[in-house]
Amino acid sequence: MEFAIETIGLTKRYGSLTAVNKLNLKVKRNTIHGFLGPNGAGKTTTIKILVGLLRADEGVVKVLGHEICGDMPEVRLKIGYMPELPKFPKHLRGWELLDIYARMYGMTEQERREQIPKLLDMVGLKGREKDFIGKYSKGMQQRLGIAQALLNDPELVILDEPSLGLDPVGMVEVRELVRNIAKEGRTIFLSSHLLFEVEQVCTHVTVIHKGVALASDTLQNIYSMFSGTAVLQVELAEPSDAVVEALKRFPFISNVEQEENKLTIELKTRDDVRPQISQEIIRSGGVIVSMNLKSRTLEEVFMQLVSKSGVEK
Amino acid sequence: MKVKASKNWKTRFWAIVKYELLWNIRKKKFIGVMVLAFALATLSLVLPVILSNIVGQQLQRNPDYVVNTGAGIGGLGMFLFAVAIAMNSISGEFESGTIVPLLSKPVSRTMVFLGKLLAAFITLFSAYAILITYIAVGGIVVYGPQNNLHLLPLSLFGTILSTFLWIAIVLAIGSLSKSSLIAALGTFGIFMALTISNPIISMFSDQAWILNYVPGNGVTGYMVGINGQTLYSPGIAVSTGTDNIAANLIKYVLYPSSNVTFFKSIFTGQRIQMVELYTEPLLTVLIRSILVALAYILVFLAISWYAFKRAQILE
Repeated sequence: MEFAIETIGLTKRYGSLTAVNKLNLKVKRNTIHGFLGPNGAGKTTTIKILVGLLRADEGVVKVLGHEICGDMPEVRLKIGYMPELPKFPKHLRGWELLDIYARMYGMTEQERREQIPKLLDMVGLKGREKDFIGKYSKGMQQRLGIAQALLNDPELVILDEPSLGLDPVGMVEVRELVRNIAKEGRTIFLSSHLLFEVEQVCTHVTVIHKGVALASDTLQNIYSMFSGTAVLQVELAEPSDAVVEALKRFPFISNVEQEENKLTIELKTRDDVRPQISQEIIRSGGVIVSMNLKSRTLEEVFMQLVSKSGVEK
Repeated sequence: MKVKASKNWKTRFWAIVKYELLWNIRKKKFIGVMVLAFALATLSLVLPVILSNIVGQQLQRNPDYVVNTGAGIGGLGMFLFAVAIAMNSISGEFESGTIVPLLSKPVSRTMVFLGKLLAAFITLFSAYAILITYIAVGGIVVYGPQNNLHLLPLSLFGTILSTFLWIAIVLAIGSLSKSSLIAALGTFGIFMALTISNPIISMFSDQAWILNYVPGNGVTGYMVGINGQTLYSPGIAVSTGTDNIAANLIKYVLYPSSNVTFFKSIFTGQRIQMVELYTEPLLTVLIRSILVALAYILVFLAISWYAFKRAQILE
């Protein structure tokens, strides 16, 4: 299968510091792939190599089937890239910047006339497009960054920390924007250090720490990589040892703890097993007051991955 | 809408030129230098009129005012224009971080570099053309009908060539250092070093010919016997350096077969004696200065291009 992004043994060093260490990354087409890691994990370095801004020291990099070696503008024709905290020339007006960038993609006047107003409207900059970028707020520059990344209707959109520096409302809007972009059948590679952002937006995720990929899969499979991936909290009308003993016999339950009338059931599966459990509780004479399935958060998974990785902190 | 991004290089190249041109003409530095240049040009036109009114004498007509004045922006003027146009051109993109979105577009670095060069040329050409036209019109108004106005395009060509040498130096230092400040200060350092050392070497050294091969004013010789003799000058002065291409082009058109004689100054008691060193045709002086300027421009631009092409974008 051809991937939108594929790296094999990608390594990048800055002097004695290895920013990216033998990274194997596979991003399937038409997915929203999160690239998750703390600050300094090597996310931006990897992305800059993908876009051709940095040269890899070792390894193979393929973007949309093209092996990247040196300055390859023909590959960038199909990519939309929004840098981390994008900086645009302050002397240009918003629409001027988009118009000039669109020309750099070789877009015709008619294409520019149709595409630019549409994008300005989409990112909420309509009415401010004639202002100089120097007058834009950080959030507006971020929106402009998203707009310029979509100018060429790219097959692959690379967003580096798209929510960085935005207020909570802006962050929600950006997430909504990303989902909308993905609906149009594009591959989105989204780098973020915000776990909840990746959790809410992405279908796939690669976790990177200190330049090393710790895990890369669908979000569901990443969760499933860890035992006890979900916890079921059950409140009974009265405490019951019989219920506890009966539940422990299920192969998909790893542990049951009882505290007065509240049970905490650790599950080995992410399948919905609530019907079997509720039937068994009733059969054992218990009365269910409430039942709450609490999934393990990506944050917990991430912390577990980092602690298990053995990568020197 | 499905956008079909094309590989039409012309559209993409002109996009870079437009990007850079808008930056050039909106820069405060450039606007400042233009205002200064116009102020000085205006002053040079108006001041004689004011002085003649004060002393009560009618201003004499000077049919050669424009060809003499417009025959070249001075060395300092060229340096200022070069710095104003080029100091941010590459290094400023790195400093501000605007290089990141720019180079992520489907334009090669060579195309970006060439686009920036063309924009610098267009900016310089426009600025000098406006300035020379202003001086020409002002000269006619103040000093009456002017001779040899048809030579002004030559002046424009020479001045642009001379200034482009300084632009190439600014770009090379800027590309290597990725700092606008170092680019400006480095070029200023070279300019000052050459400006200060030039007259000393020129007057007192037997090896003054070496100044023919460095940027700047070069050696000063004289077209002996072709008017302009004064107590201190044996004829029309000719400076051989790359900063004087415009003036020498015009001199060559006016005096095509003349020679330039170079002297060394020697202190003898309480006066300075001028000892003749050598003589060469004005055409040789002119061609050499053009070739030297072109060689420097090519070398510095090649350095700048290579540094830009190989630069890793860490910003």
